Amino acid sequence: MNPERYIVHHETRYAYTAPVSQSWQLARLTPRMLPWQKLLSYSLDIEPKADERRDELDSFGNMVTHFGLHGAHRMLRVRMECLVEVTERPSVDAPMAPPVQQQMQLQGGVQMQSQSQSQTRMLAPAPLAWEAVREAIRAEPQQDDLIPASMSEPTPLVPLSEGARHYASKSFGRGRPWLDAVTELMLRIHDDFEFEPGATTVSTSVDEVLYQKRGVCQDFAHLMLACLRGHGLPARYVSGYLLTDPPPGMPRLMGVDASHAWVAAYSPQHGWVEFDPTNNQLADQRYITLTWGADFADVVPLRGVIFGGGDQLMDVEVSVIPA
Amino acid sequence: MLRELLDAYAVPDSRFDEMLASAGVPRPHWDAFLRALAAREGPEIGDTLSQMEREIRENGITYNVYADPKGADRPWEVDPLPLLLSASEWETIESGIAQRADLLNRVLADIYGPQTLLRSGAIPAPVIFGHSGFLHPMKGVRPAGGVHLFQYAADLARAPDGSWWVVSDRTQAPSGAGYALENRLVVSRVFPQMFSDLNVQHLASFFAGVRDSLLHWAPKPAAGEGSPLVVLLTPGPYNETYFEHALLARYLGFPLVEGSDLTVRSGCVWMKTVEGLKRVHAILRRQDDDYCDPLELRSDSALGVAGLTDCVRRGSVFVGNALGSGVIESGALLGYLPKLSEQLLGEPLKLPSVATWWLGEPAAFDDAWKRLDKLLIKPLERSFREPAHFGADLTHDERILLRAKVAARPQRYVAQEWVHVSQAPVLERGVAASLARGAPRSLQERLAPRAVGLRVFAVATPDGYRVMPGGLTRVAVDGDSRVIAMQRGGRSKDTWVLSGAPVNASFSLLSTTVKPEDLVGSRVNLPSRAAENLFWYGRYGERCDSAVRVLRVAIAGVLDHAAEPPDGLAPAILLAHKLGLIDDTADANVALLRAATHPEEALANRLRQLSRAAFNLRDRMSADNWRTLNQLAADPVFQRGTALPLALSWLDRAVTSMMTLSGYVLDGMTRSSGWRFLSIGRRLERLSHLCVTLEVATTDGAAHSLDWLLDLTDSTGTYRSRYLVAPEWLPVLDILMRDETNPRSIAFQVKGLSEYIAKLELSHGRFASDVLAPAQAALRDLAPKDLHPESAAVAEVLDQLRKCAGAVSDELTLKFFQHAASRSVLSLVA
Repeated sequence: MNPERYIVHHETRYAYTAPVSQSWQLARLTPRMLPWQKLLSYSLDIEPKADERRDELDSFGNMVTHFGLHGAHRMLRVRMECLVEVTERPSVDAPMAPPVQQQMQLQGGVQMQSQSQSQTRMLAPAPLAWEAVREAIRAEPQQDDLIPASMSEPTPLVPLSEGARHYASKSFGRGRPWLDAVTELMLRIHDDFEFEPGATTVSTSVDEVLYQKRGVCQDFAHLMLACLRGHGLPARYVSGYLLTDPPPGMPRLMGVDASHAWVAAYSPQHGWVEFDPTNNQLADQRYITLTWGADFADVVPLRGVIFGGGDQLMDVEVSVIPA
Repeated sequence: MLRELLDAYAVPDSRFDEMLASAGVPRPHWDAFLRALAAREGPEIGDTLSQMEREIRENGITYNVYADPKGADRPWEVDPLPLLLSASEWETIESGIAQRADLLNRVLADIYGPQTLLRSGAIPAPVIFGHSGFLHPMKGVRPAGGVHLFQYAADLARAPDGSWWVVSDRTQAPSGAGYALENRLVVSRVFPQMFSDLNVQHLASFFAGVRDSLLHWAPKPAAGEGSPLVVLLTPGPYNETYFEHALLARYLGFPLVEGSDLTVRSGCVWMKTVEGLKRVHAILRRQDDDYCDPLELRSDSALGVAGLTDCVRRGSVFVGNALGSGVIESGALLGYLPKLSEQLLGEPLKLPSVATWWLGEPAAFDDAWKRLDKLLIKPLERSFREPAHFGADLTHDERILLRAKVAARPQRYVAQEWVHVSQAPVLERGVAASLARGAPRSLQERLAPRAVGLRVFAVATPDGYRVMPGGLTRVAVDGDSRVIAMQRGGRSKDTWVLSGAPVNASFSLLSTTVKPEDLVGSRVNLPSRAAENLFWYGRYGERCDSAVRVLRVAIAGVLDHAAEPPDGLAPAILLAHKLGLIDDTADANVALLRAATHPEEALANRLRQLSRAAFNLRDRMSADNWRTLNQLAADPVFQRGTALPLALSWLDRAVTSMMTLSGYVLDGMTRSSGWRFLSIGRRLERLSHLCVTLEVATTDGAAHSLDWLLDLTDSTGTYRSRYLVAPEWLPVLDILMRDETNPRSIAFQVKGLSEYIAKLELSHGRFASDVLAPAQAALRDLAPKDLHPESAAVAEVLDQLRKCAGAVSDELTLKFFQHAASRSVLSLVA
């Protein structure tokens, strides 16, 4: 497929009712460079002009702009504009639904499964069962530079949740191929949960989302992370954008006109596969990757500490336009 | 005598006894100490206990407990008997601790660096990544000298066979070294002769090592910055070990700062002082690392310094311990240390850990349930704040419940072998029974065995880890307690490491590295917060003083007129009411007595406010000053209550103490800007108090005699020396308003204020002289003919000055105490 190009605007504005005397901010607003994503042009404008400013990679490889304002100000505007080119991601084998007979054998356990598969299907590599993915990370934590191992553990926003583990367990039958199980989990979250802006806040917990069955992309991503990590499976939070205009004849997608969030899960067999539980699809050329981390706290687009300021009014404008 | 002393002291088979080899037979290194103890005269030991208790109370040695609803400090409890360790035994501990600190530092360097240990599986990745202490933002950061673990502490316990085991490691911001120091000061004073005869090793060189090493690891100051500035970062007075923070700051000579005292600019950390921003080169941190930076770490932290993490990454500041070092406190790591020691140091681990298994390993989980009787199950991280479970204590049902709980999240738990820790003697007040049997008086105090644990400390010096020769011995609460925790109310002991040869006693922290060119004048770094605390200490001190004096005059008046009440209420009672000392003037006698002596009423509350302000200044306050204040605030009158005539003698005592306190200010403080803030506070408070007093005197009190007023303002002597007549309005108002030489006059306060403000304005620009000047002029313009109670001019001046005092206070706050501005965290908003 041809590369797609997008112009992305992401503007955050704060208005303060009282002067802010000091402000320190971290902006994570630089799209990552990836084998399938090129950053052709980029600018980040800060108003009022920052008194100090510095770019640095964080421990996840995201570009962070550190900036500080040390004079009194009543507003802050941070405007990112970029031109991104996205080509096709590496293909993921279509989820293989093994024949019924084979599935029976799989229940005997992970070992038997790979044996039986190598006997029955010589051409394609045997799909790894989800338990095998878990064991592979434990046995060989060094793969992909330890990232999967570091993305298998609870975090402040995605703590261990017995509820999430239980919810997911329906999809994680014994010996079920990893891709199959995770894909089904994505589908179930999409079907069982209502997309409803305003139903949750940034501090709504995974357990609350599970209970009220509503939320936004960030909640679904956190829920899916809790489900996967609860089963010992590595997964990370991906922050980015989704193309605004639906192509003719295609249904309008939710989660547009705002930052979007989805999940990348890891298997030694497939590498990182990006699942979007909000829209029940794998990420494709319409998905522009901004940053990733263990949960939303790692990728907050603009995070800061201010002195003074009184009440704050914030608004964010995001647009993605095909170029 | 020795036999009598040891008579009732039991030695069980199941534990090691520190003092006795077998019943009645002391271990060799205890022999001399016990003989000396037994040789003491009868009442002496009892006196020893009382003396120590008094000293601890008066020095305000405390341990705050978060859970205490009153936020009250609990006095630190020290047993007078030290724990003795022989020189050879200490060598074993010392080299084991130094090795362990080195090993743990290497582990930290790896997990925040190349992570080879995680890749190879030498440490299971979940042990690190699953621990909340692993801070992703610190990945790839190498501190100066590779020192992640600047300070290290280990909790040791001695097994029945006499060998020492490490129960847990403290690698975050270990506490206790300061308490050990304080124990040493108290206990060595109780047994000065024994202390010197036994050649006890001194602690001072360890603290010198802490100070010098921080200066060594700190980045080199830029030209013109002078010597490196090191600060001690505390979470603040509400932290349980705040006393220790203040003590260490004073002992090491570092400013004690809270997060709000520091700020970040251009990648460097700066301290906000009244002289402006001062670059900070090293931070000795006593605050948990995730609270250190709301910008990059916990965004809900109200304590940290926004941007600190980035400064650390850029190497512009040395932080000890490095952010993220808490992760290796994990109990899950203990089991892997022997192999890591072989791998990283090429030598066996010298001090073993108590056998500990991480239950995240399925095999360990199954095994633990088979041997539960001998184990305790505890959470991996202290922050889980979950108690340890002793397997042997659990009923069948409780075991099933615990197993289910742990099985749900096995990676959060460890199983640890339960060690019968050793016991050591504590001195206890004896039982009456021994008296009845006609036992000698010395046996009223007896030796009783208690379980003990030893916390030892090490610091990273340029020559490797140095271990403090001694430590904090912690004592279980009762006879057979298995849990030794300060938070639960345990006592502690000094730890004496004996030396074969005389120790060099001349060493003290004062043999320093300050060179002539490092001498600083009065322009020392005064953090803005400290300036604010000094200001309020001055105000509260004056507020207490005026309360005491008003109550004294009012009560004296009530007593004088008891037989023959005067017409209407005495002006002093009205003044007490106006100042909020009493609510009700209907039954003045009762109200005044309550105000003066009830622990929840006016005077007690004001003294508490003063104590609190002083507490925030612990690092700057002399021990004498502190002791006087503590005696005053804890006067027995507040417990016992008293009758009106006796209340008067209490108030006399209180006036004397207040004068002692102001004496320290006058006589014991350098005239630095800190003193100036304190003095401005006092003058402002006294000014507004005088205005209110004179307002009452010239209105409600116009018809009364003026003796009470002169008495209240301590001006009776002045008046009598000048005028031979009974007090009259004109001379009294002249003395109290216009006389610049009378320290209790309005003019005196205004003159002082204008001088102090002028001095501050020289270096900081104008802020209050414009406010003060018109009121000062109005006072000067007051003519003698106006000095009578009906005078509108007097009333106007008083009103103007009272308002002026408030305005000056506001301007000062605005100018110097801006750090208190509200802060909010905007994070987690998309």
